[in-house]
Amino acid sequence: MTDLPASVRPILRRLARRVAVGLFLEIWPRWAVGSFLIAGTAALVCRIFFSNAAPFLPFLWLAPLISIVPVIIVCARRAYHPIEVAALADSLSGGQGMLLTLLETSDPTWARAAALENLKRLRMPRLRAWSRLGPILASAIFLVTALLVPQRMITGPRTTVLANDVVADLKTTVEELKKQDLLTPEEQKSLEQEIERIRKDALERVDASSWEAADAMREKIAASLNQKEDALNWAQESLARYAAAAQAGKAPTAAESDELANAIQKLAQSGMLDDAPSDVKKMLGSEDAIAGGTFQLPKDPAALKKVAAQLAQHLGDRSRRFGELRQLPREAGRFDPAEFGEFNYEKQPDGDGDPGRGGISRGRGDAELTWGDESLPFDRFKSVALPPGSVRGPDDWAPVAALPGAPKEGSERTFTSTGMQFSGTAGQSAWRRTLAPRHYSAVKRYFENAESR
Amino acid sequence: MTPEPKPLLTPEAVAAAQTNIAKLIAELRRVILGKEDMIDDVVAALLARGHVLLEGLPGLGKTELVKALSRLLSLDFRRIQFTPDLLPTDITGSHILQERDGRKEFTFHQGPVFTNLLLADEINRASPKTQAALLEAMQERRVTTFGETRVLPDPFFVLATQNPIELEGTYPLPEAQLDRFMVKVEIVGVDQSVLEQILMTRVHGEPPPLDAVLSLDGLQRLFTAVDAVHLPRAVANYISRLVAATHPKAPGAPEPVRSFIRYGSSPRGAIAIGAIARGLALLRGKPNVGFEEVRRVALPALAHRLVLDYAAKLEGWDGRRVIEAILQAVPDVERGLPQTLEAVKS
Repeated sequence: MTDLPASVRPILRRLARRVAVGLFLEIWPRWAVGSFLIAGTAALVCRIFFSNAAPFLPFLWLAPLISIVPVIIVCARRAYHPIEVAALADSLSGGQGMLLTLLETSDPTWARAAALENLKRLRMPRLRAWSRLGPILASAIFLVTALLVPQRMITGPRTTVLANDVVADLKTTVEELKKQDLLTPEEQKSLEQEIERIRKDALERVDASSWEAADAMREKIAASLNQKEDALNWAQESLARYAAAAQAGKAPTAAESDELANAIQKLAQSGMLDDAPSDVKKMLGSEDAIAGGTFQLPKDPAALKKVAAQLAQHLGDRSRRFGELRQLPREAGRFDPAEFGEFNYEKQPDGDGDPGRGGISRGRGDAELTWGDESLPFDRFKSVALPPGSVRGPDDWAPVAALPGAPKEGSERTFTSTGMQFSGTAGQSAWRRTLAPRHYSAVKRYFENAESR
Repeated sequence: MTPEPKPLLTPEAVAAAQTNIAKLIAELRRVILGKEDMIDDVVAALLARGHVLLEGLPGLGKTELVKALSRLLSLDFRRIQFTPDLLPTDITGSHILQERDGRKEFTFHQGPVFTNLLLADEINRASPKTQAALLEAMQERRVTTFGETRVLPDPFFVLATQNPIELEGTYPLPEAQLDRFMVKVEIVGVDQSVLEQILMTRVHGEPPPLDAVLSLDGLQRLFTAVDAVHLPRAVANYISRLVAATHPKAPGAPEPVRSFIRYGSSPRGAIAIGAIARGLALLRGKPNVGFEEVRRVALPALAHRLVLDYAAKLEGWDGRRVIEAILQAVPDVERGLPQTLEAVKS
């Protein structure tokens, strides 16, 4: 273009740049739309089939930028030749052909031709790219939609391994309990069904809820075992007292008999009598009677003594099995008796356990509320007669120790409501509030009852 | 291989040629009133050394135009009135047995074709055999009789006329013959204002007296100047695309071509456009052909070269209408603006 008049060259350069931009905007939208569609399809496929690719999916937004590279190559190959730009300029300025002639002949004679004056008044073509950019928005929305699709965890060999791993220790636990005859067939069936349900859920989706379900089940098993052991211990204690009374030649009291009967019933309900000696079962009555609590202890002292002895032997054997459970090493089958806090009767920290094992000792916060599984009303809250000398009348309380939080006695006052009663107290002062009169009378009544007993 | 570009005509040469052409046209416009475009087409074709087919109703000045041209260009002029009984030898000439010096011998008597400017009036009235004799002379610019070839004078132009009505007893020119005419100019009637002017300026319709404006040498110099007009490659590309688009099987052929054209234009059409566009460019004072000149001359140069399908007659399409559709459909430049750009009129 060096042969062209100087006044014309800037116009041609501007036109060449405008044409290049127009060419880019003509080609790039198709590639951008294609890249968005491919990225969106890839995102959908990964969401459905390849869960491992989830962390990398946000990088798909780089697709239209990456598509600029081939677009640049295509634009370079389809770039307008200077002669083509000159032809466009000539056509847009009236089609006189003078510009093309000057380019081809390099004859300066006609450099000031009137036809070139029209070229100086040439207006650059306007960009009209919005219609081409519209599909980009639609394809971008497709990618957004694809990325918002929830990730599906596919059932593959790895997921199956994970699912099996979730329930492996539960299965081992159930096997051990079964081996120790600590599970009734119904309990075993129920546990196995529950384990299978957890495993199937884990096959669909392995996440925190799978482990929490396994932890909840582990705690449930532990609670059940605790109940059984509690029933066992209670029965042993009742039997011991009953035997002690019999040995002392005293007839067991009605309370002792009732207690023993309740303990045996609890044992039967927990399945601890399923493998009891047949003599014991025969002497106590039918199995349905035992489980329903309608059995009768033998009235004959000798028979009663025999039942008690055999029952004690059976219970001792069961207790030994519980003891064996405690002895199982931690790694064998991943059965960890230390997880059952009550087994060791040690003070367990109330808080999280090992990772992946839950550790909320009170169970899952969203666990289903069940009624009827409350702790058995035995031995914890049984009233025990206080030794003499320790009972104090409520009239002459004296502080045992000057503790900052100990309540101190104050004059009786009449209060209309509990709110007024404790009004004005907050923080540490709440610990120092006066004992209310009705509490006063309740404590007094309690100790009066204890003395009469 | 692209030939070396010739140097452009100098502005002085272009100005001188334009002046002479302008004089010629001005005088012709004094004779033929109200037909500026027709005069421009005829003059451009003559400058391109092509033959012209004039089609129009009787009394529209066809013969007067040719007579005026012959007077203005100082050219020898002959007129042949074609009739059904006209023989080929009536056009080319024949050998006549003559006695001279006691000996009888055949002497060739030249026919009216041996002239510079030949008016072939109502060419479609003669038989195809007679038409062929003239058309052969037009193409070859020579006549062969009894094995002897005689070259026609230079320049040699044929301006043939056709009457679009009274087609009974006529022999329409076959398409192959029509191709030999560089342009076909349709002469339409005059409007009222022109009629009034004719009545006011002419007595018995006689044209004003004319003096020659160009000698034979001057005409030859004009021919040289026209040949020197530059045809840019992009414009030649445009011409070639226009001609290619006349073929129904061409990739870029518009719908009317595919529907109504049986055969498109031959390469003679492209050559004719290039030649006439050169003449028109010089007439406009330019040393080069532009897209505008091509658009201007494409219609008269191509319309008569198309072989129409019978469907065209049923639908009322003729060659001119098809060429107009092609001009609309084919862009100037082969590679236009990207679709994201819109041209803004200056």
